[in-house]
Amino acid sequence: MKTTSPVGKSVPRIDARQKVTGEATYVFDLKFPGMLVGKMLRSPHAHARIVKIDTSKAEKLPGVRAVVTAEDTPKIKFGSNEYFFPYTVDQYPLEFEKVRYIGDEIAAVAAVDEATAEQALSLIDVQYEVLPAVFDAVAAMKPGAPQIHAARNNIGVMLPVCFGDPDRALRESDYVHEDVFVLPSAAHAALEPHVCIGQYEVSTDRITLWSSTQAPFKIREAMAKTLKMQEADIRVIKLNVGGGFGGKLEMFPMDFCACLLSKKCGGAPVKMMCTRQEVFSCTRRKHPMIYKLKSGVKKDGTLMAITGEVIADGGAYCSYGPTVIAAGIMRFMMVYQLKNIRLFGSRVYTNNSISGAIRGFGGVQSGFAIESHMDMLARGIGMDPVEFRLKNTTDPNTLTINKMIISSNGLKDCIRKAAEISGWREKYGAKKETSPGVLRGIGIGIAADVMGSKMYKSHESAGSIIKVEEDGSVYLFTGAADTGQGSDTAMAQIAAHELGVAYERIRIKAADTEITPFDTGSFASRVTFISGNATKNAATDAKRQILEVVAQELKLGVQDLDIEDEQVVNKKSGKMLLSFDQAVVLCYSFNYGRLIIGRGSYNPKTTPIDFRTGEGNISGSYGFEAQIAEVEVDTKTGRVKVLKMYDVHDIGYPINPASVHGQIEGSIVMGLGYTLYEDLKFKEGRVVNPSFSKYRIPRSTEMIPIESVFIETNDPQGPFGAKGMGEASLLPTAAAIANAIYDAVGVQIKDLPITPQKVLAALKDIKNKKQE
Amino acid sequence: MKTVTLDVNGKVFCLDVPDGELLIETLRDRLGLLGTKYSCLEGDCGVCTVLADGKNVLSCLMLTVEAEGRKIMTIEGLTQGSSLHPIQQAFIDEGAVQCGFCTPGMVLASKSLLDRCPLPTKEEIAHALDGNLCRCTGYVRIINAVLSAAQKMKKTS
Ligand code: FES
Ligand code: FES
Repeated sequence: MKTTSPVGKSVPRIDARQKVTGEATYVFDLKFPGMLVGKMLRSPHAHARIVKIDTSKAEKLPGVRAVVTAEDTPKIKFGSNEYFFPYTVDQYPLEFEKVRYIGDEIAAVAAVDEATAEQALSLIDVQYEVLPAVFDAVAAMKPGAPQIHAARNNIGVMLPVCFGDPDRALRESDYVHEDVFVLPSAAHAALEPHVCIGQYEVSTDRITLWSSTQAPFKIREAMAKTLKMQEADIRVIKLNVGGGFGGKLEMFPMDFCACLLSKKCGGAPVKMMCTRQEVFSCTRRKHPMIYKLKSGVKKDGTLMAITGEVIADGGAYCSYGPTVIAAGIMRFMMVYQLKNIRLFGSRVYTNNSISGAIRGFGGVQSGFAIESHMDMLARGIGMDPVEFRLKNTTDPNTLTINKMIISSNGLKDCIRKAAEISGWREKYGAKKETSPGVLRGIGIGIAADVMGSKMYKSHESAGSIIKVEEDGSVYLFTGAADTGQGSDTAMAQIAAHELGVAYERIRIKAADTEITPFDTGSFASRVTFISGNATKNAATDAKRQILEVVAQELKLGVQDLDIEDEQVVNKKSGKMLLSFDQAVVLCYSFNYGRLIIGRGSYNPKTTPIDFRTGEGNISGSYGFEAQIAEVEVDTKTGRVKVLKMYDVHDIGYPINPASVHGQIEGSIVMGLGYTLYEDLKFKEGRVVNPSFSKYRIPRSTEMIPIESVFIETNDPQGPFGAKGMGEASLLPTAAAIANAIYDAVGVQIKDLPITPQKVLAALKDIKNKKQE
Repeated sequence: MKTVTLDVNGKVFCLDVPDGELLIETLRDRLGLLGTKYSCLEGDCGVCTVLADGKNVLSCLMLTVEAEGRKIMTIEGLTQGSSLHPIQQAFIDEGAVQCGFCTPGMVLASKSLLDRCPLPTKEEIAHALDGNLCRCTGYVRIINAVLSAAQKMKKTS
């Protein structure tokens, strides 16, 4: 690496200064003259037919500028996994036939202020014919259950996977274990609520939408479709986003309505912002899932077969259901080598709120189920869980049973390193009693991560443009959507390195559909890998353009030149020829007049999972990790205290180590919340804990020591060897903790969250069993 | 309506505000101090933290009329010209900023702590920031930042 290269260094984030001074602008900070406040009218019923909507009273209220219902729309449905799963396109931006959950959108108003908008909502008269509703996924699949969409037995998405001969493999196993794991819903709880501003321009018939989003280009596509407009007439702009975690990955009816209301008002901008309660109740949430597993092993630890069933409560609409189910089922195939697999996945419609993407997609649920299950299998044959994993995990250059092509793979190194730094060998099984009734335990979980996935287009391309101005300033235009994870910084680092200039030179303009190149969005840990490669390619292109001029001027071969440390150098002699600034001046001078505009794009060669066969190489590369939890369990109170987490992560190569550690720490603490107490609860379809006081997320006092270590595998496809890694650290946390609890006190909790009550009940259970 | 005289970041403002107006509304909507963010408006998240006479308060729970006679400081008041407060600098250096939505409130809550307790332990920091939620960082780097700012400030004082 070059001496001044920012790649591999923890340079300060490109946006940090604005953020610590409060200057960073988020959508809700924007103010425009004549801006109106918009509000959504939501269904109070979980399932009902809409008989009539009368907006006349609301329209007459002074201060109300516009009211829209489905009658103002072309009545076109949208979905999230549209391209590959057209049958999952199931939601109208405003419903007019039926409502399917408490919070379903049916109308919107724009008014001069919030109070007037609220009052207008109360004046909209909707007549409903309430229908029987179903809130439980298993009940919804039974014949005779209320029909929510047209899908048979309310199963909106099905993924049956079968490889090898699982029945025979189970028969040939020395030990077979069956388990049921239950995973609750959870909230993303990004601190910035969903917010947008829509503005219609009358003279051009065009729309601008500022939205707090992870995927501006996805919103543009869905808006164009549902408004029956050209994509070119819709501009979506992302500003700073106060966290997304998968919860801001789609067009929301409020995005659509802000624009439609603005149009109806003759072009006044309309701002819509969710209340915290709306964020919890009516945006997206984690899929609650049930994993019924039956798997077998040989005495020597060989994993023979994994079989079972996965049922996910999808809520009222499909959202990213196919991706979630695919991730919930396929992720372990990146982790474990085995030939016999049979799993049947169903994503079921219910009248709960919409389940969607959330950090890890279904991987967090599967991580808990599979990794807990693996420990129980290891235990069944008396094998150490670390050894068991080392025996069965995938290797570099593996073609998995379902045709995923794994090239670099540091998983085994991750496991060994995690065992080493945690002192696994001395601690596992030691059941150290630190005070009367308080025991220590240690547990492991492992995971794999993808670097993108084709979700709503046939490709998953990203593009970047780099322009170098005459004064030497470098502007990077990228479609990548930084939502706080630091992708703008990583992109600037990559551009600076490749162009051979200082990091400080780079100015970035990102995620504006009219100005920046296309990018599918921030999801599936794809940005560093895919957008990073695009940015690297753009910088290579810009550099080539500069070097061509220098070569011509100095009568040298362009292949002999490079830019390093802000100098154009002769690669052969190592001689510095001229500075970057001089080279740029040369490019622009006299008859050269060469404007430097580099462009790059990147589209990994991947194939989405074929839902008929379960096959597909979904990602251009794969990341891996091992996590070890050390806990203390108080057998009198059932309280679990996580003492420390060890995370060893194959990140390929860290573009910005501090950022990578930051992602890992954030994931682990989020995982800690999901493991021990986060639980988005419903009663008859209504979220009962829609506030931060009732839905607790981890606080600073719950911060735990985290030791995070990288394994550098220098991925051949990744920019400078880097892999994506925004999600994987969340996947094994719950299982690592659950397995550690078992190690401490001998009970395996199979449903999250692991509350003290559950631990106590399980302890009581084993005590009773022992007495029998 | 009530006429209030507010001292915000050392500047005095005379404003007519409704009795029920919240300090967060006055700061953001009337004074254009948009560095103060909000996330819940229910007193649960700490995002809207500002300082009143040096103590951290939630501007979504405080009425503007109650702020009269107290020195209010928002994040904009912490920066002197282009030079950052050591806490702000430490947040940058330690990588304690991700999405940044919690950051203004975190920085101010940290300032309130360091003003009354210049060399806190990690536990004291965690305790002082317990009302300020962050969903991105897992708090590790935030706590480190406050610790390092405290050490730097001690050295220079
Ligand atoms: S906005 Fe959440 S406490 Fe004030
Ligand atoms: S940095 Fe995003 S909430 Fe704290």
